[in-house]
Amino acid sequence: MTMTFGFTDEQLALAATVRDVLRAHCPPAALRSERRPGWEQLAALGFFGLLLPPESDGLGLGLADLVPALEETGRACLPGPVVETAVAAPSLLAGAPKLASGAVCVSVLLPGQVYAPDADLADLIVVAGSDGLRLVTRESARLTPRPGVDPCRPLFDVAFEDSERLGGSAVPALRRATVATAAQLIGVARELLAVSVAYARVRRQFGAAIGSFQAVKHQLADVAVAVEFAAPLVYRAALAVDGDVATVERDVSAAKAAAGEAATFAARVALQVHGAIGYTEELDLRFWIARAWSLSAAYGTTAAHRECIRAAVLDGNVRRYP
Amino acid sequence: MDLDFSPAERDFRAEVRDWLSTHAPGPLPSMDTPEGFAAHRAWEARLADARLSVVSWPEEHGGRGASLIEWLIFEEEYWAAGAPARVTQNGIFLLAPCLMRFGTPEQRARWLPRMARGDDVWAQAWSEPEAGSDLAALTSRAEPVPGGWRLYGHKTWSSRAAYASHGFGLFRTSGTRHKGLTYFMFHLDDVAVRPVAQLDGLPGFAELHFDGVFADESMVLGEVGEGWRIAMATTSSERGLTLRSPGRFLATADRLVTLARDAGDPALADRAARCWVEAEAYRLHTFGTARTIMAGAEVGTAASMGKVFWSELDLRMHALAMELLGERAGETPWLDGFLFSLAGPIYAGTNEIQRNIIAERVLGLPR
Repeated sequence: MTMTFGFTDEQLALAATVRDVLRAHCPPAALRSERRPGWEQLAALGFFGLLLPPESDGLGLGLADLVPALEETGRACLPGPVVETAVAAPSLLAGAPKLASGAVCVSVLLPGQVYAPDADLADLIVVAGSDGLRLVTRESARLTPRPGVDPCRPLFDVAFEDSERLGGSAVPALRRATVATAAQLIGVARELLAVSVAYARVRRQFGAAIGSFQAVKHQLADVAVAVEFAAPLVYRAALAVDGDVATVERDVSAAKAAAGEAATFAARVALQVHGAIGYTEELDLRFWIARAWSLSAAYGTTAAHRECIRAAVLDGNVRRYP
Repeated sequence: MDLDFSPAERDFRAEVRDWLSTHAPGPLPSMDTPEGFAAHRAWEARLADARLSVVSWPEEHGGRGASLIEWLIFEEEYWAAGAPARVTQNGIFLLAPCLMRFGTPEQRARWLPRMARGDDVWAQAWSEPEAGSDLAALTSRAEPVPGGWRLYGHKTWSSRAAYASHGFGLFRTSGTRHKGLTYFMFHLDDVAVRPVAQLDGLPGFAELHFDGVFADESMVLGEVGEGWRIAMATTSSERGLTLRSPGRFLATADRLVTLARDAGDPALADRAARCWVEAEAYRLHTFGTARTIMAGAEVGTAASMGKVFWSELDLRMHALAMELLGERAGETPWLDGFLFSLAGPIYAGTNEIQRNIIAERVLGLPR
């Protein structure tokens, strides 16, 4: 074996399948009318059991195996607690029944988070408190909606009286959810870039496609570069999580910060390239712009992750993985 | 996908690290002075004796047939050891890939081993006064004569030409724009060379005037009229993997972090940490590129993405070092590095041109 840095055919095939399913069942129109489009079809693929161990009816895959597929959920702007159910829950609730089938929907409120995303859809909510992790059922949770930036990713305050104490640590779930969110951000950025390029090719002003103007070209090229060089940090972080390597904490932060910046930059340029039409509610673009904002703030803001990196690197932690 | 180096790759790293730890010289005088040029050539010969000057080349030409991943490992160790910039780099990284791909067996045998030892040092002669980033606008020409060609014209901004022994570049043999260009190698002895001082006052550039310089048939690389295609293969490799291996930026990033740690300013430290991660991103991306190439695919225009990224990262790192050092910068190697990094967004096709290439050929935007 020699060191490789590319996805296997299986990993890419999984992503292609997810992409096809989401194209068919989570089109942009569904984002306006449905809360969880495409979920049933993803569940039928076994998507929610990919990270669960075989004894919980899962496939026992690693996070790195899912990265390209998670990018696709970002590319489709898939609503619902995907990361929480498919990625965080297997670390927190591996023994819970019916997780693998996708019949149980999970939201989480892990350390460092302020609100639980998509908690209105959740059958189970895992809440990190001062005394450790608590499992709260839908019936015993009192949810208070909080204003967020993303209409398809609503946020909630969670209060409860009855809860069940969970063993284990929140750390592995938090790392995984952070990297998975970074992967989604890469997908969001790729879609924003693709949509903007397509628009710049057809929108004409001054007798020419605006995409022929160098000022527009260079902005889109800069987005392409930002995405191109953020993505490998996300792939590496997934491998660092799977291998529990010494640099994992810093690698996760690097992935999240870079992906968040690439996606918010892609959103900014997408809006500029679309001009006034992009600033309207009627264009689908707004869903992806909002998703870039909401996910870049989730599981640690860019600033918080930048601070982690600065502290680690300045502290002399400059070992690299690999 | 995995990021574990194989036992052979780890052994190779250990061997290179070990050799460099005992053999890497301290700072040499600038390669753009006569004594520095000689010292750099002597260093290249020592590297070649250890078969470390061109590790990725075939053994018959002085290399050791290392994989691209091993070459990247070599580069990481080389720059981490603080070893000197390569005076032979234009030949090794720009001409050699074309000789390997388009040269005849005789040309390869004649030039590559000498290049690997620094016996010949090659200067690139792409640019002309009216043809920099618009390379297809060049007007230098070659006229057929019995036994070869006579070269006429004016090349400029030719790196290393003040002291180098040979040069390579494009000359028009027919047609207009990129049609009818031919790739020539030539001896610099016969060319009128006017050294041009760079920002540091040293003659890193030269102007070359060709007034009927003779080049025999063996100095044509590839087919007559195919120079553009061959040169594009070169420039793609120049913008991409070969010119700027991540090793150099990783070493710079490590030194920058140390500098920032000592300065104790959190805002500047944050910028240093960001650069450090970006150097990692470039490294990881390059592993991906290496894997693509090893699988038999071409990198092509995607190399432009790397060129924009590494050149701006390099400039950011050195500009930050200048901020951190203030008036002390001139006492350190950072000043030379800063001046060199300023050239990054200009050479090998300006970054404006690279962004056009990305927009048009990678993203598919209209011309």
